Amino acid sequence: MKMTRSLSKFVKELQTIVGEENATDDKAICASYSRDQHWHFVPAKNPAYIVRPGNKEEVRRVLTFANNEKIPVIPYSTGINVRGLTIPVHERSILLDLSRMNRIVEINPEMMTATVEPGVTFGMLLEKTKKYKLRPAFPDAPLTASVLANYYLRGIYQTSAVDGHDHTLSYEMVLPNGETIKTGSRSLSEMPYFRYGVGPDFTGVFCAHPGTCGVVTELTAKLYRLYDNRKEYFVGFDDAGTPRKIIYNLMHDELAASIRLVDNQSWLKGICGTFDYPYEKLPKFVLCVLVEGVDGIFEAKDKLVQEYIKESGGTVLEFPEEFKRTFEEESLGGAEKSCMVFGLRGNYHCIGLYGPLTLAAQYYEVHEKTALEVGIPQDHIHFYINPIYSFHGQLCYFELDIFYDGGDLGFGEKLRNYNEKQFQRLLDLGIYGWFRPYAGIIGPTADRIGYLAEVWKKFLRVLDPNEIMNRGKLF
Amino acid sequence: MEQERKEEILSAIHHCVKCKLCSISSFHPNAEWLPLCPSGQFYGYQAFYAPGRMEIFREILDGEITEPSEGLLKSAYACTLCGACYERCKQITSMELRLPELFEEMRAELVKKGWALDVHKNIADKIKETRNAYGEKYEYKAKSTDGNADVLYYIGCTARYRVPEIADAMLQIFDKLGIKYQVMDEEWCCGSVLLRTGQVEAAKELMEHNIEEIKMSGAKTVVFTCPGCLMTFERNYPDMGVELLHSTQLLTRLGSMKVKKLGLEVAYHDPCHLGRDLGIYDEPRAVLSTVADIKKMKREREEAWCCGSGGGVKSAYDEFALWSAEERLKEAKEAGAAALVSACPFCKRNLKEAADKEGKGTEVYDIVELVNRSLEG
Repeated sequence: MKMTRSLSKFVKELQTIVGEENATDDKAICASYSRDQHWHFVPAKNPAYIVRPGNKEEVRRVLTFANNEKIPVIPYSTGINVRGLTIPVHERSILLDLSRMNRIVEINPEMMTATVEPGVTFGMLLEKTKKYKLRPAFPDAPLTASVLANYYLRGIYQTSAVDGHDHTLSYEMVLPNGETIKTGSRSLSEMPYFRYGVGPDFTGVFCAHPGTCGVVTELTAKLYRLYDNRKEYFVGFDDAGTPRKIIYNLMHDELAASIRLVDNQSWLKGICGTFDYPYEKLPKFVLCVLVEGVDGIFEAKDKLVQEYIKESGGTVLEFPEEFKRTFEEESLGGAEKSCMVFGLRGNYHCIGLYGPLTLAAQYYEVHEKTALEVGIPQDHIHFYINPIYSFHGQLCYFELDIFYDGGDLGFGEKLRNYNEKQFQRLLDLGIYGWFRPYAGIIGPTADRIGYLAEVWKKFLRVLDPNEIMNRGKLF
Repeated sequence: MEQERKEEILSAIHHCVKCKLCSISSFHPNAEWLPLCPSGQFYGYQAFYAPGRMEIFREILDGEITEPSEGLLKSAYACTLCGACYERCKQITSMELRLPELFEEMRAELVKKGWALDVHKNIADKIKETRNAYGEKYEYKAKSTDGNADVLYYIGCTARYRVPEIADAMLQIFDKLGIKYQVMDEEWCCGSVLLRTGQVEAAKELMEHNIEEIKMSGAKTVVFTCPGCLMTFERNYPDMGVELLHSTQLLTRLGSMKVKKLGLEVAYHDPCHLGRDLGIYDEPRAVLSTVADIKKMKREREEAWCCGSGGGVKSAYDEFALWSAEERLKEAKEAGAAALVSACPFCKRNLKEAADKEGKGTEVYDIVELVNRSLEG
């Protein structure tokens, strides 16, 4: 079958910039970018063009072209997208697939930093950093996810509490008008290793806008140490409130590398690495604790951890050695088995938020209440907490999960009802912030933040007066 | 497509959360980034990874894609159907999405719409004319040693017409081991290439002929050196009441043969149809280890990197097929192997072609060639 097709003038222009093989308006190729995991909320929509630049200059030229033509641009890194953030809202959108830009520009073991392009995944980066006994901070996202996009979208709820929250030091971003800005110490020197260069914290100001400011082409992030000494504990609790005390103690005294409170039917399976175990016989919540450190300090930490476990009111669970190994790998080497949760029912919904440990039990209570109200079965409702160092404000990442049958089209309605109620209830209860500004969150939130919402909108319009950057994803 | 089947397929598609862990081999515990999807790795667009290809299939089934395009055909047909994505998804999530079968059905849908590739239609025409996939005259000279033998050797198109050294070796092994065998007087293509490229209807006549021939032969066991043929007989043919064996299964069953080590350090390449489709991983290794020293490659068994030639790719996208083979040859070299050994004529052909093109001296063999060489006659 001979395919003869005339290319639109836009595609020809784009091909001039990135090469014939790297820009297309082929309907089928575009269709492959039309949905992500969040399709029950963000309906499928095809981009009009897929463009795969290979370097910063090509990104700059594509953005300049799109800006002149007023074509929406959606930045996309490695394709592990949730929350519909790379699904077009408008017609004629260019999906800017940055996966070809996958260079690890530098690993600097002395500075404990890595500089990466958008197409570098967590797996690719760890493969190179491990020889220096260093690792990136990992999200509970698959190892195939982009380091740059995860860090830039906001600090992450890393699987290792000890890493803190903010891993980004500096970056380069191309704006719609073709100008490049460098944040942090990059703006002043060739040393990209410090977050604060001159003036405000621009590194932070441009974060968490899901591709609505410009395109980040290179980012320098912190790396963290890998220790040889490690020990794992699993402690069972019948409710989400009781473990608060031990979590507080471990965090306050900065004793554990990883501290994760999970329920016994979802994430624990991934942490242990198998579906084949009588999890239902365990207490409802399990606190997973990983201690690490150099000789001397490790032993001292471990002794204190054991004492806190004794007085925690929980039950120490004896798990097979391979479960402990998997917990280590998933916490300090990136999420692979954790993705077993995708197989629980074939899709999941979650609301991720930051809040204080003091509200842990209430977050769980309201999660369960809302889900049951909208007709979600009890056994679909799950929950976990990752506390985050340093523990000012008792900062934790909470995830309110619902695992459901992805093929059940009717379930989407329940989830939409859940979201509508739950966003308001969580805002009423009090949260520090949403994990990311994903579908449905900005509306109810913007009403509550007063003039800040206006400032935010004006800030975006200054950077992007033609509103080409991921248009429709925020306001 | 029947509504029920369409809903089943859509349901499978809806269950993919697009984590893309299907595109890399197991990361832990060695923390090595090893790609596993040849088409995604080669072409790059999301359309060439399983999650993206499924979205295209969804749009076809939903009637949103109403015309063929170059991208559509390339996404659908530039996939070797190696099944690595399916294995990885199953390992991690325990989901049974059966991706290679899904993608075969996608092709069958395209064929129904008249959107088959010309090169694949040409193969169908050649088969119709000559009863083999290469359009060759029936001239491979093999004769049954005993017209009533219990064992029938189904040679297959590739070993007959492109890599006859495999068929020669197998026949000599039979002779050396004193096994009486039959070959079919009129062996027709098993239909694999048609079924894999969505040309389901065209395969029916071939299947009927082969079934009839095998029944008439009275053989109790049919032996294959081609895993593609074996898999097709296992999956697509009705139960004929005969045992179907790969050559390495037969040789394993025979127990200790009088073979000597050849002093070769080799890597074993798992053919996709033999390994991931039929679960035959141990027998080839058991046989090969009696004649050579096996060096382990990083991606093996369920996570083997495909040689690049299956699923109609070799005929339609040879550049991609050879690139995939070159990747495999590099891996064998990194493992310290002087030769790469497979158990499939199709793999051998593509790997050998890539090795010759590269010109760096990696030898490529089929297991039966080495066994034959080392067997005392």
